[in-house]
Amino acid sequence: MSIIIPLPQKRFLFAFLPLLLFVSRSFAQTHHTIDGTVRDAKTGETLIGASVTVPGRIHAGVTTNAYGFFSISAPDGAVTLVITFAGYVPDTLAVTLTQNLTLKVGLTPGESQLQEVVINAGRRNDNVIKPITGVQKLTTSEVKDIPVLFGEKDILKTIQLLPGIQSAGDGNTGFYVRGGASDQNLILLDEATVYNASHLLGFFSTFNSDAIKDVTIYKGGMPAEYGGRLSSVLDIRMNDGNNQKFGVSGGIGLIASHLNVEGPIKKKKGSFAISARRTYADLFLKLSHDSTTRNSSLYFYDLNLKANYAFDDKNTVYLSGYFGKDVLGLKDLFGLNWGNATGTVRWNHVFNSGLFSNMSLIYSSYDYNILINSNNDNITIASKINDLHLKEDLQFYINSVSKINFGIDVIHHTLSPGIINTSASSSFNSLDLQKKYSLESAAYVSHEWSPGSKWKINYGLRFTVFSVFGPGSFYTYDSSGNTLDTASYKSAQIVKTYANLEPRFSASYQLSDPSSIKFSYTRNVQNLHLLSNSTSSSPTDLWVPSSNNIRPEIADQIALGYYRNFSNNGYEFSTEVYYKILQDQIDYKNGAELIGNENVESQLLYGQGRAYGLELYLKKKFGKLTGWISYTLSKSERKFQDINADTWFNATQDHTHDLSLVGIYKASKKWTLSSTFVYVTGNPVTWPDGKYQVNGQAVFLYSNRNGYRMPAYNRLDIGATLEGKKTARHESSWTFSVYNLYGRENPYTITFRTDPKDPSKTQAVQTSLFRMVPSVTYNFKF
Amino acid sequence: MHFSYFRYTLSGMLLLTGMACQKVVHLNLNTTTPQIAIEGEITDQRPPYQVNITTSVDFYSDNVFPPVSGAAIQVKDSTDNISDTLIETSPGWYTTQHFPKGIPGHTYSLFVSLQGKVYTAVSTMPLPVNLDSVNYQSSNLFGETTIRPTPYFQDPPGIANYYQFVEYINSVRLPKVFLFDDRLSDGRYISEPILNDTTDHLYPGDTLTLAMYCIDKPVWTYLNEVSLITDANSQSSAPANPQSNITGGCLGYFSAHTVSEMTSIIP
Repeated sequence: MSIIIPLPQKRFLFAFLPLLLFVSRSFAQTHHTIDGTVRDAKTGETLIGASVTVPGRIHAGVTTNAYGFFSISAPDGAVTLVITFAGYVPDTLAVTLTQNLTLKVGLTPGESQLQEVVINAGRRNDNVIKPITGVQKLTTSEVKDIPVLFGEKDILKTIQLLPGIQSAGDGNTGFYVRGGASDQNLILLDEATVYNASHLLGFFSTFNSDAIKDVTIYKGGMPAEYGGRLSSVLDIRMNDGNNQKFGVSGGIGLIASHLNVEGPIKKKKGSFAISARRTYADLFLKLSHDSTTRNSSLYFYDLNLKANYAFDDKNTVYLSGYFGKDVLGLKDLFGLNWGNATGTVRWNHVFNSGLFSNMSLIYSSYDYNILINSNNDNITIASKINDLHLKEDLQFYINSVSKINFGIDVIHHTLSPGIINTSASSSFNSLDLQKKYSLESAAYVSHEWSPGSKWKINYGLRFTVFSVFGPGSFYTYDSSGNTLDTASYKSAQIVKTYANLEPRFSASYQLSDPSSIKFSYTRNVQNLHLLSNSTSSSPTDLWVPSSNNIRPEIADQIALGYYRNFSNNGYEFSTEVYYKILQDQIDYKNGAELIGNENVESQLLYGQGRAYGLELYLKKKFGKLTGWISYTLSKSERKFQDINADTWFNATQDHTHDLSLVGIYKASKKWTLSSTFVYVTGNPVTWPDGKYQVNGQAVFLYSNRNGYRMPAYNRLDIGATLEGKKTARHESSWTFSVYNLYGRENPYTITFRTDPKDPSKTQAVQTSLFRMVPSVTYNFKF
Repeated sequence: MHFSYFRYTLSGMLLLTGMACQKVVHLNLNTTTPQIAIEGEITDQRPPYQVNITTSVDFYSDNVFPPVSGAAIQVKDSTDNISDTLIETSPGWYTTQHFPKGIPGHTYSLFVSLQGKVYTAVSTMPLPVNLDSVNYQSSNLFGETTIRPTPYFQDPPGIANYYQFVEYINSVRLPKVFLFDDRLSDGRYISEPILNDTTDHLYPGDTLTLAMYCIDKPVWTYLNEVSLITDANSQSSAPANPQSNITGGCLGYFSAHTVSEMTSIIP
């Protein structure tokens, strides 16, 4: 920079000199970037969300991304970095920075936190600083101590103990986030979409905790890199595998067993992990008196595979796969199996210190098969949804307070609603329902920025384009559901395109060291819809893409939160309020026929929704007793022209009160006790008030949709883990648990019928699935 | 097609293993204002034909549905332009006096004037389809033996057919709605068992008369919605009152249908 000073004003030069010197000194103070990966020092597992800060410039810290990568710039000279992660001893590194540097950081797992009042830099207030509202992270150590049904650790069941996330009921797949439907949750396993994340109708999830490293759920302010579903993103990352030594661990339980094998491919360069799980619930069926039950099968299995290899400091390739299947069979009369398969290939490339790239190629599929073999019918039904997904994500660390994330995301969906094959003597025709092809593409950019020491802002934009293609016939209908028009399209010809902008904004303002307020606004668009008009979801529910009849669903959500930590981050407290507006929600005509129907789109109704609530959360993280209390007060409503005379009515997802208490008590070195208590208001239901006669039969008379409510659900679970002798080579433990300790008969369904003993009366019958269920599991580790 | 197998299976298994349970519960249901229910039919069998009018009651009342007298009712064959006025022969039951036998293909109308309101309906009698034979299937599921009558008949190809089955056990009509349609079965030779369950009390040695009606689409839609409400296994998430084919705001339906009957003894 040159300054031209006109001669007559030379005397001003002296006034400018100090300024010049100051300016030149600042320019002379160059910055360089330190990048690297944070791992577990013993196993080599990358740590996601580890905090890397420069003390004194705490607001300029970064967290490691999904691959454990970080990049932070600092002025040249002596630089100290503090790296922390929950459950590990913090590490301090001192370097002299003269050029860009790459570090490999290894953190040692910390001892169990028995001391409550210890000034520990490992206690972080990330929950306070992070600008995203409505986000929650779960570590596998938290999941492992919480007892669930049949002693199986379960991520999906555990997240339902967090505020704003509600179970869809015992024996029900799915969960509701902030009043949204269960198909509005995007479930990702190493970036691959999992369409049906449950086994056996929701008794277990498809996620084997052995294989899982990190679980993050976004209920509100989702960053722009995520999209496709309205209510939440459940981002699950698998373990990479121990890259230093081989290990085998597993558990044998009453209902299921699991085995995990992991080890290095090349020490410290690559590793693999294989986890498998299988139930043998059908062994119990063999004890039955009834021959049909004895000859029935009921089981599922999961297989998780992962391998990774670091070619050099700048390039790592990951391979992940998941295969799972559920089998249900009734002698040889009826068979149903369903399952997910996902496969991902990812390549991490670090361009220079500040630019990180991840390219992913993902295959994901979900299918089900039905076999009916009774009387003269010999019918098979096959249905499948297939995705091919290409994603490129770039993370550009501009400086220590600014990071830009941008990328593109393209998914090709093929949905085959059903291929029905029948034998010649069957009463039914073979039918090939038309396949549906669509392309879901997105481009996004977001900026994570800290303008000043108290603010953190994450704002971005996601631009999505959804196109429906031929080949096939596309119909339009009148309001009675009759076909008005049929248009034929050739292969790859575009039928309809929907383009949408999804702005994302979230910010946190730090009021003091342990407290902050946060605000977010997000818009989300959803183009795949799950159709189901029965009370409990089924693996045979139908996924349909947006089309010339079905518009994309849109949600706008604002959230405001107050976060405060106590006792040196030993207690986390947060409260959030949210308000969500939903557009183009789908419901069904009375008696809608969703099965085997080429004209299924004629059976749908469209309307709006709104949901709002208050969430409270208090968590104790250290000490002998840890755990949390979570309470949500909320409302979720819908409004459809043809339902309840176009007035707002309670949605099925409306649960006024949702209280969860979780306690984990480390009684001694050997014994850990845990307990969970859940109380949820019953969901709205439609019940009759009267009855009338048709063909001599009492037919129930209804007034309003969802005018009544099911009785409240509550349940207490307890568990105890006994650690066996621990040697360098071998560890073992026994887990005892009781699900539903006081055996409350929580209703699964309430149905109505004429009393079989007295035909002059009608009665309501309640079915409950689980009373008290005890279980025992033996766990081992080599 | 009923895929009720699936729901029934899993809950059935759980019930059997003793983990699940069922019990009768008493709910706090609202009371209702009685509503009019009109049921009328014209068949291709010998007249007379009847219309029955009753009112609805509250859920926990007895299944005694008060008959409604004093309605002025007319039926008309719109194709041949023949009308008849019905006379109340017993409380709530109105019978035709001079109406000719129903003819397949003809359109029939119903006019009811009651308590200052007018209710009308239209139904077209489909062409007849006859039963070839009736057989019985015995299925043993979860310790229960269920006898299911199986009708055998040819579905006419190329047209949409809707069927209703009515069972008479030892001459007593079983008050249940059984339906079938050819949406997934057009042109097939049908041999689908009727989904009776043990509460219907069908035993070997009973005399069973199976009647197959060919009904029109609006009647099938109505009765299908009725069966979704009354079938305890159906688990519809949003039960609602069926769309009646009678206009004017009442419950019930009007059906012009053919009848094909077969009687046999359950083996």
